[in-house]
Amino acid sequence: MRTRNTTLALAGLLVTAVTAGCGGAVTTASSGSNGKADGVYQQIADLPKDQQRAKAEELAKKEGRTLSLYTSMTADIATPVAQAFEKKYGIHVSVFRGNSETVLQRALQEEQAGKAGADAVETNFLEMTALSDNHYLVPFNGSAVDEVEPAAKFQDWTASRLNVFQPAWNTDLIKAGDEPHSWEDLALPKYKGKLTLEVSDSDWFENVTKYWLSHGKSQSEVDQLWKGIVANAKVAKGHTTMMQFLTAGQTPMEAMNYTYITDRAAQQGAPVTHLPPDGVSKIPAFPRPNGVGMIKGAQHPAAAWLFYDWLLTDGQQELVKLGLTPSTKVPGDKSLKGITLVPFDVAGLSKNGDAWDKKYDALLRGVADVEK
Amino acid sequence: MTVVPAPTTSRDDGPGSGHGVAPPPRGAAAGARLLRLLRRPLSLQGLLVGGAVVVVGYLAVVPLGYLIHDTFLSADGRGVSFAAFSRAYGGNSQSGEMLLNSLWFALGSAALALVLGTSLAYIQVRTDTPFKGLFFAASLVPLIVPGILYATSWIFLGDPSSGILNSLVFKPLFGSSPVNIYSVWGMIWVQGLHLAPVAFLLMVAAFRAMDPSLEESAAMSGASRLTVLRRVTVPLLRPAMISGALLMFVQSLESFEVPGLLGLQNGIYVFTSRIYFVLRAYPIDYGAAGAYAIGLLLIAAAGVLFSSWLQRSSRNFQTVTGKAFRPRPVELGRARPFVGAGVILYFLITVVLPVAVLVYASLLKYYAAPSSKTLSQMTFANYRTVWHQPLAFTALKNSLIVGIGAATAVMVLTSIVSWVVLRTRARGRRLLDLLAFTPIVIPGLVLGLALSFVYLRTPLPIYGTLLILLISYCTRYLPYGMRYASSAMAQMSPELEESAAVNGASWFQTFRRVLLPLMSGGILAGWVYILVVSFRELSSTILLYSPGKEVLSVLIWEQFENGQFTTLAALGVCMVVLLFLLVSVAYRFGARFGLQNDSAN
Repeated sequence: MRTRNTTLALAGLLVTAVTAGCGGAVTTASSGSNGKADGVYQQIADLPKDQQRAKAEELAKKEGRTLSLYTSMTADIATPVAQAFEKKYGIHVSVFRGNSETVLQRALQEEQAGKAGADAVETNFLEMTALSDNHYLVPFNGSAVDEVEPAAKFQDWTASRLNVFQPAWNTDLIKAGDEPHSWEDLALPKYKGKLTLEVSDSDWFENVTKYWLSHGKSQSEVDQLWKGIVANAKVAKGHTTMMQFLTAGQTPMEAMNYTYITDRAAQQGAPVTHLPPDGVSKIPAFPRPNGVGMIKGAQHPAAAWLFYDWLLTDGQQELVKLGLTPSTKVPGDKSLKGITLVPFDVAGLSKNGDAWDKKYDALLRGVADVEK
Repeated sequence: MTVVPAPTTSRDDGPGSGHGVAPPPRGAAAGARLLRLLRRPLSLQGLLVGGAVVVVGYLAVVPLGYLIHDTFLSADGRGVSFAAFSRAYGGNSQSGEMLLNSLWFALGSAALALVLGTSLAYIQVRTDTPFKGLFFAASLVPLIVPGILYATSWIFLGDPSSGILNSLVFKPLFGSSPVNIYSVWGMIWVQGLHLAPVAFLLMVAAFRAMDPSLEESAAMSGASRLTVLRRVTVPLLRPAMISGALLMFVQSLESFEVPGLLGLQNGIYVFTSRIYFVLRAYPIDYGAAGAYAIGLLLIAAAGVLFSSWLQRSSRNFQTVTGKAFRPRPVELGRARPFVGAGVILYFLITVVLPVAVLVYASLLKYYAAPSSKTLSQMTFANYRTVWHQPLAFTALKNSLIVGIGAATAVMVLTSIVSWVVLRTRARGRRLLDLLAFTPIVIPGLVLGLALSFVYLRTPLPIYGTLLILLISYCTRYLPYGMRYASSAMAQMSPELEESAAVNGASWFQTFRRVLLPLMSGGILAGWVYILVVSFRELSSTILLYSPGKEVLSVLIWEQFENGQFTTLAALGVCMVVLLFLLVSVAYRFGARFGLQNDSAN
């Protein structure tokens, strides 16, 4: 039976291929060695600041010159960043990329099982706070944090880059002079049917609300404004998708998008912007931090220390080259040009993020209780 | 209505029980067959059947157990609590209204997909329609294109103000813009078209396995074409149609791509928007997420039970008997050009339009409606970007390994398990059927968490390798494999197995030489389906993949996160071309193994 033989041969081949393909994988997590990692972190931390870097380099060599990084940077950012780090220290970086929720879930699962897969983590502030609250991060006391503004320093992680919140509009559809000049403007009747809100932007909702309340508005005025904004708006999912519809002219304006997404589309030639014609926006811009941290019980603690240190110093220039907003002042950084920064409320969102999620969701669905 | 000659021996006796013994008394009979199998645990049959049942049970129980544990665990960590349900469904969650929206959307999409898929399958297999080659493309392309791209293409086509259909077709010709994609009907349309291939693949296999002489006898006895269709053809296809409807219904109920992109615009929230909302918060309320999944599970369980009740007199559907048959095409006669035109129209709508939008978008730097300006600025830059992605080839290789591995493993397992469910009277076979269906309602993220929880605590080298993705895909596509395999099995009369057994064939010989070849149409259809959809699975992949072990869906996600929609479109076009070629090869291969090929008109 020729057919049968072929079938069997094929089945055999398939099994071999699958086992070979799967079996040859790298194991990211071998069994935990917590004590050792903590010892290395301590050893570096106890040294005077000017000796730490050299010691970390020396120890990283002993670790085998590898680093496992979990980050929500996507490959086009993460790859050049990893390469630049590799070039400087000769340490190979293996990068796990996922959205911030995934990075957090993966790190939590691994820590709970006592098998740390990551050495360093770089992701959104909310997830960094969660890792910190679970005591899975190790504090860093190197000289790199001296460059960082106090607002960007946290107990055991440090802001590395910023996502800036601003409205965005299509310049063919919103003529010069018609653009918004404040968050309040979004509630103007002239924008009826022109506005798009993103379904998960509760962090923006929280910041704008708190900003208004702390700048002289009463709760009922704030509620009224939100009601007006929602009445003007349609709801969409995903900042990227929204930007596609904005560049295509399908929607005229977005209540909020990250400035780097708008800038990228504009660089491609799309008729979109977040700045008025004079190039200066007075709309309070909230910079949402992404932070870097070292993982407790890591396999390569010294490499993690070096990466933390590097990302806040030389790495900042790499981020600027890639069009992102660094957390420190870097010469040549134009990403904040024309933007009026105001503080981002990390503390409030870290404590009550889910309550604001629920409020924003209720607001969009039109079932929000008017606050008393 | 007995459409099949009554089997010569009782159904209860099968290949496993030897030679036509009288059925054992009830009670003792239940499970007797499986017991007999297990009593010989070292026989090939015992190992295969027992092994398959255990593996399928294990695959399904792991995520389900994790889900149930998180849902019913009370806040203090001890004892059982129903608080998660009140958090999930109570308050101002509007879950009732959303569930109604969901049901409407899911029923509509499943119905549309079923009607489209079945009619196309009928035309493809049973008529002498022209352009049969197009069916192949029409049955695959919507399946390959990731949901987010397919829905986005339709937005560019059907937006009420600026959609291409409205602005370039309806407005100039009729002076109005009737197409509005942001409505429940728009959602049903897009989801229905996206799902129709599921029904098509199932129904083609079913039509091929159907003896047309039954229809011919009916026609000879004076029944009109419509009567034949209503009284003979449709009833005969019931197992496949019910399976398809169930799959598509539950899949629509738990999908969020189409409702997220199209529904939200007009404030149409569905049930899954609750799950989405819960899963993206921190700390994740796993209890509430589980409560939603259990709600879906109840609906799905009702569906499975209802479908097995509908198939209770299964003998009526067994069209593959010992008699030789060769499906003869119905001559369409004067209707032929009209049917041909219909085929072309369908092909235009489901394949050409959306893919053309993708190709168009992939040639631009940023998406804008077609104009002389955009046409003059077209470039292949996006394809160069895809080509130069450092990980593109690794990801492709890994996707192929995991996709082919999962498709093969699932179809082998489910062929055996569907035999247990349909051919034995083993106790708990209904439960097994139900269990194999549960993964369909488990949110991908929860599946990912369950698997990483288990395999982080196992010494085996699974976590951090491709194996964990393979396990995840096998779990996720188990329900699909099960439906494809069991609807193929349901069409087969046990008399074939009995004759094989009478002639001294062992169970394994019978299974391999009689059942598998006859089921091969259904099995290949399931295999193709799983291979294709596994290429775009993201929700569990993103948690479970490891650096250096990326798959294609991770790259798609990255392009999406980066805001590079036009690059994403280029990647989508590459995927369509690639998978299309791959599946063509699979079908060619299938043809060599004796699968009927209707395209050779």
